Amino acid sequence: MRVEYINPFVEAAFNVMKEVLGGDVRRGELYLKSTSMPVMGVAAIVGLAGGVEGRVLFDMDKASALSIASAMNGEDLTVMDDLVKATITELANMITAQAVTKLHELGFQFDLTPPAIFTGDNMEVSNQDVEALIVPMETGHGKVEINVAIRERA
Amino acid sequence: MKTKEDFPSINERKPEGQKPDGTPFRVLVVDDSMFVAKQITQILTSEGYDVVGQAADGLQGLERYKELFPNVDLVTMDITMPNMDGLTALQKIIDFDKNARVIMISALGKQDLVKQSLLSGAKNYIVKPLDRKKVLERIQHVLSK
Repeated sequence: MRVEYINPFVEAAFNVMKEVLGGDVRRGELYLKSTSMPVMGVAAIVGLAGGVEGRVLFDMDKASALSIASAMNGEDLTVMDDLVKATITELANMITAQAVTKLHELGFQFDLTPPAIFTGDNMEVSNQDVEALIVPMETGHGKVEINVAIRERA
Repeated sequence: MKTKEDFPSINERKPEGQKPDGTPFRVLVVDDSMFVAKQITQILTSEGYDVVGQAADGLQGLERYKELFPNVDLVTMDITMPNMDGLTALQKIIDFDKNARVIMISALGKQDLVKQSLLSGAKNYIVKPLDRKKVLERIQHVLSK
């Protein structure tokens, strides 16, 4: 997978999270996974299809999801309810929209699926034939991993 | 000695959400995201607007508008929604009431749809993430015309 694909997502995640969460957002070291890997507990996924295809996963643990959703709603949310899920979905939406705008400007053409959110313990994601690039982002409300697996259409 | 009369009181500012006659502007919020709908509602009610209806897709939004009409002053309309998208709902609302004041709420990267919406009669648009100041400015601008 080409690194060009992940940078717009990392930049967009940085900008959006800084804006909606306030405070410091730090970018960790990028790493590559080619086999299946664990998911932390709450994952929002957006699919891409067109000239390039694949998916982007926003992965975080439950405590971080609750803390992020609480900050975005300006109230204390303690259970994984519909509002928390809608909030994390919207976060994924905003980040993806900004990243895709950038990728379209760079000449990549594709459409997006609406985000879906998965919650649960001991989840794992596997990618056939495409390795995933992962960038951990540290926010004041916990860690969010941006996990991108995209390839050019065969 | 200065008495408190020498200072303008910021608390006496009239809430933006009120018409000159003191009654609130009435808003219909159409958005499929519970989070965004709640965010818009909070911003508006904090400035004295009255959110008279919410709808979770374009079709519901159109139906709610017809039910509320003429007791509705403004619609905030998301663009990407299931069942009926915001652009179609906007066009149907304008067909029903050519003076409808509709503001589009868009994610980044939907410039074409925003442009089409403005050509179809939307009065303005706001790009997410929603910023309180931006939301209030755009809405006030539309209502002041």
